[in-house]
Amino acid sequence: MRNYSRQLNKDLYFDPYLFISITLLSLMGLVFLFSASQGNYDATIKQFVFVIFGLLLMFLLSQPDPDFYKNNSLIFLVSSIILIIATFIFGNEINGAKRWLNFGFFSLQSSEMVKITLPVFLAAYLYDKPLPISFKNTLICIILILILTNFVRIQPDLGTSLVILIAGLYILFLAGLSWRFIGVSIGIFLLSLPFIWNNFLEPFQRQRILTLFDPTNDPYGSGWNITQSKIAIGSGGILGKGYQEGSQAHLDFLPETETDFIFSVIAEEFGFFGVCVVLLMFFFIMFRCLYLALNARDRFCRLTIGGLSLIFISTVFINLAMVIGIIPVVGMPLPFISKGGSSLLSFYISFGIIISMATHKKLMQR
Amino acid sequence: MSDIEERRLEKKNFSNRLLFIYIFFAFLFTYFLSKTYSLQISSFSDYEIAALKNKTREVLIQPRRGIIYDRNNNILVNNIPSYNLIVSPSQILNPDILLKNIQQVISLNSEEQTYFFENFEAKASLNRELTIKKNLSPEEIARFEVRRHKFPNVFIDERFSRQHIYPHLFSHAIGFVGNPNDDELEEILSNQDQKLRETRFNYSNAFLLGKTGIESIYDKELRGTFGKKVYEVDAKGKLLKELKFIAPLPGRDLKTALDIDAQKVAYDELDSRRGAVVAVDLDTGEINTYVSSPTFSANKISNGLSSSEFDRLLEDENKPFFDRAGQGRYSPASTIKPAIALFGLENNIIDWDYTIDDPGFFVLPEDGRVYRGWKKGGHGNINLNDAIIESSNTFFFSLAYQSDIDELIKHLSYFGFGRNVCKDCFFPDNGLLPNPQWKINNLNFGWFKGDTVNIGVGQGYLSATPIQLAYYASFLANKGNLNNLSFVKNNIDLKEETFKAKNIIDTDWQKLHDSMIGVIENPKGTAKRLRNLKNYIIAAKSGTVELVSTDTKEDYKIIREVEGKRDHAIIVAFGPMPNPKYAVSVIIENGESGGSVAGPVAIKVLNSLLKK
Repeated sequence: MRNYSRQLNKDLYFDPYLFISITLLSLMGLVFLFSASQGNYDATIKQFVFVIFGLLLMFLLSQPDPDFYKNNSLIFLVSSIILIIATFIFGNEINGAKRWLNFGFFSLQSSEMVKITLPVFLAAYLYDKPLPISFKNTLICIILILILTNFVRIQPDLGTSLVILIAGLYILFLAGLSWRFIGVSIGIFLLSLPFIWNNFLEPFQRQRILTLFDPTNDPYGSGWNITQSKIAIGSGGILGKGYQEGSQAHLDFLPETETDFIFSVIAEEFGFFGVCVVLLMFFFIMFRCLYLALNARDRFCRLTIGGLSLIFISTVFINLAMVIGIIPVVGMPLPFISKGGSSLLSFYISFGIIISMATHKKLMQR
Repeated sequence: MSDIEERRLEKKNFSNRLLFIYIFFAFLFTYFLSKTYSLQISSFSDYEIAALKNKTREVLIQPRRGIIYDRNNNILVNNIPSYNLIVSPSQILNPDILLKNIQQVISLNSEEQTYFFENFEAKASLNRELTIKKNLSPEEIARFEVRRHKFPNVFIDERFSRQHIYPHLFSHAIGFVGNPNDDELEEILSNQDQKLRETRFNYSNAFLLGKTGIESIYDKELRGTFGKKVYEVDAKGKLLKELKFIAPLPGRDLKTALDIDAQKVAYDELDSRRGAVVAVDLDTGEINTYVSSPTFSANKISNGLSSSEFDRLLEDENKPFFDRAGQGRYSPASTIKPAIALFGLENNIIDWDYTIDDPGFFVLPEDGRVYRGWKKGGHGNINLNDAIIESSNTFFFSLAYQSDIDELIKHLSYFGFGRNVCKDCFFPDNGLLPNPQWKINNLNFGWFKGDTVNIGVGQGYLSATPIQLAYYASFLANKGNLNNLSFVKNNIDLKEETFKAKNIIDTDWQKLHDSMIGVIENPKGTAKRLRNLKNYIIAAKSGTVELVSTDTKEDYKIIREVEGKRDHAIIVAFGPMPNPKYAVSVIIENGESGGSVAGPVAIKVLNSLLKK
């Protein structure tokens, strides 16, 4: 037994802290989803299959050496871009948006893959560039980021495109983007806000932002979601209304209970206590990633772990900010808990890569 | 070395930047936690209420309205329960499709369809319910209930409609019910601790409000208290299950003093002529008969009347909606004479032996103006008793001439003139008891002595309603003791109104009654024709209200070609003498003769009340 264990440690790459916390979070997610989907067994079982598959995928992806990801990062990026282009051509149109590629048993949201391949590619591109990063390299990276962001934005998928944008910017920032460049960029961004407002945002997106500032202005229109979500959360109280007892969730007042607003269901049924448990799990994963990033074996691993974990954290926080009404409704799932194939899998993949980066030590370091 | 140094530098740089972002997120994390804390713990009760409001809907249950009885416990007004198919139009986007779908379940005739479309918009804008079909059969109810899920805003509920057992007899006395307007509704609901805004189904059909008559005056007692069903609803407003049921409290039944038989006699005797009859129980001041004619069906008004039918009633020149008994103003004419006589006796202007010479007219000494009596040549030498029996105008012109107008007015108001004499009549008119101040204010003329002289025979500006005349008759019958009139049982034993007199003693009252008996029984009496219509003694005073002043009979013959210019017939009577039980007043517009036209009506009503 002891031999076997040593054998496992020697040949398999595995971070028990992340693995256990993610598994636990996924299983809790199944429990929440069952209630949020009004006790829909089919949806829950389907999600369960995704969880098992995702955990397996995570485990498998943590086995290759980081060099495998570094050397093939361009191939991964190009493949994901091809998937996006394929989506434009063959994609299923749902509610006026072409985001999904249908593989029969599974619809792939191609933009979810870019969320991983872009930061990995940028990390691989920048890991050997001297500090501070030259203006030329910065420009190449930024152009790449903007092209991919725009690809996804015109699908249209504002939420994911924003994640891709910040994913790229995280890597650039962590890789040592000069502070002067950052300062100038922020200045330009602020100045161009009116231009972006007028030219890049759809009317419904503008309405969402306006609603944020005054949700009571239009409680049955675009403010409905935020209002109902706040009512759901607030009426949960300390210990919640009990599992499957949330009136907001079960009487259809809360929109998108299985995806974007599943946190409101948790808050309504399990109260502040449930919220704290879920947030602590996320907090734990977040700081485990920080530890791993700070102790990674080389610059590529550092950048990748840092970038991917920040995407994860950002997604969590964008979702939370949305359901408690701090930012507009953008359509962002709660990782490992919301129903969904592609985005769920993308986080298992991310953490597979993170674990790979964290567990493979260089020979000389051993 | 520099490579290692550079790597160290790079790692430090990376760590600082990553920590920088993490610190930012740690702050965000704390912020979210505090925000959730404030939602779930600080503002918990607000959101708990909001969630509760979201998921519950209150539906009010109509209480049964109180039943109205007559004095012999016969039901006058009842409630008819019916199961109705009701829709909430404000929630319906397409009425055509809705009606089409409903017709696959419950058939509707063309009248019901027309009613639906004609009223849809109005009811929707007021957020009121709309009844699609009344009186559903059990089969129809069953057919609908199994398909109920298809019609989230349509439902079947029990509704009471108000039904007069005698739709025309009590239209003015009891009145009718109708739908309250928003202000009235808000008041009703706030009386019952219900809030209009929170009561999403504020259905008008479930709310009945007494609009006129007893239904209006005693509305609060009759109304009852709403019950409530609290349903759980989903976001689409679909009723899911009943959470709470509070039974409605039925309204209080009301026993009135009205008498069906006497009411029917009065109604039949008036026979759709314009007029009114009021009869009063002398012991209690209760109103036993209250008829205004012509009238209308209270049931039709309460339960929906086609607009053409309603317009026809409204435009009818006989004004069936006008409550002549309580609001019609008529000159009391000669019926005032007993009151004037009492004034003369009280102020020692005359006594029973006092006589005047009646040449058929009275000349006002101030300007020589002539005031004529009804009998050419006059009544000769006449005393008070005969002046009442024969209705001598000259006697009373002369008596009024000697009266102080202010004292006379004070005296007349004891008898109910110029004031409200009824506790529970619906907007009773006070008639007009004119005085010099009134005349200068309203007509911009000073008071002439001739105005006082006219009051002596109940003409001129003086006017009274039939209810006031009934009060007056009762006051005379009771020798100056009376309760205010009321439709329901008076619980007060003490007489509320007492005539305070210095010089009038019981003998005077006795003699007055005798002279009023003489009006019928004496061969010279103005109402002697009534003598054979009864087998007991009645005291009465008839009157003829001149609408147009004429000097000769020939002139009047020209006038009476136009029906509307003919004199009104009027009589007040009480009996049986010597211990009267009931008093009655009758007005028949353009009936010409008080004694022979209004008189028989009064006698028959008294007969009915006395079961003779």
